[in-house]
Amino acid sequence: MSRNLNLTINGKMYEFTVGDRLGQIPENETLVDTLRDRLGLTGTKRSCGQGACGCCTVIIDGKAVASCLTLTVECEGKKITTIEGLADPVTGELDPIQKAFNEHNAFQCGFCTPGIIMSTKALLDANPNPTEEELKEALSGNYCRCISHYQVIEAVKSII
Amino acid sequence: MKKFEHLNAKSFSEAGKAIRSYRNARPSAGGTDLVGTMRAGILENNPDAIINLKTIPDSAYIRDEGNAVAIGALTTLDDIDRSELIRKDAKAVGEAARSVASSLIRNAATIGGNICQDVRCWYYRYPDEIGGRLTCLRKGGDLCYAIQGRNQFHSACGGMKSGTHRCTAHCPASTDISAYMQEIRNGNWDAAARIIMQANPMPSLTSRVCPHNCQNVCNQNEYGDSVSIHSVERALGDYIMKNSDRFYVSPEKETGKKVAIIGGGPSGLAAAYNLRKVGHSVTVYEKMPEAGGVLMYGIPEYRLPKHYVRSLVKAIEGMGVEFKLETEVGKDIDLKTIKADSDALLLNTGAWKQPILGLEGEELTVFGLNFLVEVKAFMNRQIDKNVLVVGGGNVAMDVALTAMRLGAHNVTLACLEQRHEMPAIPEEINRALEEGLVMHNGWGLGKVVTDDKGKVIGLDAKRCTSVFDEKGRFNPVYDEEDRHFFPAESIILATGQKVDIDYLGEQFKEKIASARGLVEVDETKATREPGVYAGGDLASGPALAIEAIRDGVIAARSISRELGVKIDRKYKGPRFFKPDVEEIENRVGRTELDTPVAERTLEKEDTVTLSMAEAEKEARRCMSCGCYAVNASDLSPVLVALDAEIRTTDRVIEAETFFSELDASDVLSVGELITEIYVPKMKDYRTGYMKLRWRETIDFAVTSLAYAIKEDEGVIKDARLVAGGVAPIPLRLCEVESFIEGKLMTPELAEEAAELAVATYGHPLKESGYKLQTMKSQLVKALAG
Repeated sequence: MSRNLNLTINGKMYEFTVGDRLGQIPENETLVDTLRDRLGLTGTKRSCGQGACGCCTVIIDGKAVASCLTLTVECEGKKITTIEGLADPVTGELDPIQKAFNEHNAFQCGFCTPGIIMSTKALLDANPNPTEEELKEALSGNYCRCISHYQVIEAVKSII
Repeated sequence: MKKFEHLNAKSFSEAGKAIRSYRNARPSAGGTDLVGTMRAGILENNPDAIINLKTIPDSAYIRDEGNAVAIGALTTLDDIDRSELIRKDAKAVGEAARSVASSLIRNAATIGGNICQDVRCWYYRYPDEIGGRLTCLRKGGDLCYAIQGRNQFHSACGGMKSGTHRCTAHCPASTDISAYMQEIRNGNWDAAARIIMQANPMPSLTSRVCPHNCQNVCNQNEYGDSVSIHSVERALGDYIMKNSDRFYVSPEKETGKKVAIIGGGPSGLAAAYNLRKVGHSVTVYEKMPEAGGVLMYGIPEYRLPKHYVRSLVKAIEGMGVEFKLETEVGKDIDLKTIKADSDALLLNTGAWKQPILGLEGEELTVFGLNFLVEVKAFMNRQIDKNVLVVGGGNVAMDVALTAMRLGAHNVTLACLEQRHEMPAIPEEINRALEEGLVMHNGWGLGKVVTDDKGKVIGLDAKRCTSVFDEKGRFNPVYDEEDRHFFPAESIILATGQKVDIDYLGEQFKEKIASARGLVEVDETKATREPGVYAGGDLASGPALAIEAIRDGVIAARSISRELGVKIDRKYKGPRFFKPDVEEIENRVGRTELDTPVAERTLEKEDTVTLSMAEAEKEARRCMSCGCYAVNASDLSPVLVALDAEIRTTDRVIEAETFFSELDASDVLSVGELITEIYVPKMKDYRTGYMKLRWRETIDFAVTSLAYAIKEDEGVIKDARLVAGGVAPIPLRLCEVESFIEGKLMTPELAEEAAELAVATYGHPLKESGYKLQTMKSQLVKALAG
């Protein structure tokens, strides 16, 4: 009998089984692949695959982690939030962090932005008033090749 | 990512059991190292199962245990970083945890996983999808690419042995070549001697006759000449014989057990040495007037002067081994008598018999080995003008060279093999050709041709089209139509030797013989008869001297074990390999000086041993193969400095012991899992962790320093200093610790201590020297407070 795998993603319950058949989640699938290829949640970006760039950041049970280094089968019972889960599901209103990023043009190409926003979200949920140092430390695992970091800091500071 | 099975473990014991049930299962903690490694496909052996430990209840915690802080193995680095208790009572652990990678990684990574993580060497980590993974030495390959490659992030304090090195693996006696090379580089010839003699008690002889397979696989071949291992071995062998009183010593205690050895060849002598060393009483029965076997009688003087064999036998005799010479077992003395009088018996009577080839006119030929044994007698006779030697091995070369030097003007050699297939050592083939040998490859025996008076006039040979079949087995194929006539008045057959076991007597022979007509032995060299062992050619068929020596050593160990005394290989060699970074790039090897062709004789050794200084220089060409990657864990130096314990499902391991091996898997047994890290609070100590890296996030330490220092009014009472990033393991600087203890710390003393650290431990590769500077400044900063 196939093992069950229950995930809560952006507030929705998903029930999968583990295995190699169509529709099942194989043991060697990482969370970033499940999110993007299975659920169409392509806001989470696949990039370095080594946990070095932060583009695939999602929040699992309150902690920002690299979904490329997370095996989906190890997420049983976990609460996962992706960039798609930040806006109000009913009104579609963006999260204050997203708004602040928009207002400060805190991105250029935007590829790394979902990851940066998710790291920021995890930080502010746990610590609504971080110091600049704490903010920089929390975002230090998110790389931006377009050098949007300065605007990112300004954007986040504007809402704390 | 390749397929694997997966289990969410509910307890450590369930996880351990599951791991043991697979061929290559891996436990997964945070997964931040493992998942990336699997995705990049850097390892040859992909795990067939992943056992998730994160699901084990109560495996992540930080507890106050009075004098110590206990940290559950599955505690994330982020939780350690945020813990008040850690900040208060195990500050350095917190500093190290916080320094790891980025918060994204720390949120998932655990302390148990951190101390078991794999190295970050860029050769080791070379991804499979970009041009294929590199199978470096650490992965079970042969070569460390960093030694002569790019190595700015590698060790600055030497490398460590990883698995069995290629040279050792290809030595039948498993001689630890790189270990004795290192001791020679250290100028410690006695230590080198002790290492080599554990595998082979007669390097002065083997270095002269061995085909040195070790050299064929030396990693220096990738770049130029191999290390001339046999030349260094020969210098070491001669050193040992010069100081034989130190290396062949009588045992301190007698065991009172008696071992009889039949046959005084290389196998018998190796066994005699090892058995006598631990105090057994040993008698060697030898049918010839002198011991040494084929080394004494089968190898010409110019290749192995007999005085070397005599000195060895004398040295072994000096240990108290009794030699009964000119005593042929089965004739002069009965095997039963010997057996009844001994606690164990070792047979190694070699392979001395001429095989019958079934050749027409065979009785008119001469047997090569007899020719060599009786070479002096031959000299008195007039040797024929045209000599044909048949065979492609070392005996054939010895026979051909001896015949030429005896004055035969025309020596021709015919053998089945093509030049590259010949079993003879290439140096010996070259030597023979240099001296005028005419060689014909690819010819097999047809028949001996005689004139009408019955006198030999030559050999009718047939074309050999292939020697080995597709499986590499000896299975010659001939073209009977393609013939050639080799004119010769004397034909010497050096086409192999046979084992003769008739002396055992019919009944006993039946009992212990193999189907091939040899003596059958198991891997301990025991025969089917209890208490009787056998080795050398007698048990293996004709083989190399070094193979016979290996048999002798193995037999001695087995016999001694049976007699209640263990023979240990207690000399392990140096912990760190320290290559000479300039000399390893020297592409030309140093070998013995050869005598010009015109001056070579039968009586004088052709070559001259390297001086000790030259041999030491050649030992510097040894690449010191090993792993030069540094331990990447930030926690590891701290845990050593704080004298922490690594608690596993089976036992408690001191951090210093845990991190003394290249890899956690070298310490932990399969399925043994780390459950807790137990960190003493180190009250009254000043502790900390310093880390230098290029970027503030993500990077591993270029160098790091963990320290725990106890001071009283500026005087150092106790210190534990551990450097990271400079060696394959966290390097505890014991010399520096004892240097500063009891002294008043001043900026000058700190400077002096740091200099001492560099002088004692530093041994950079070409590009890693700067690490010693950064290690030094970290030390000065830590000590000066």
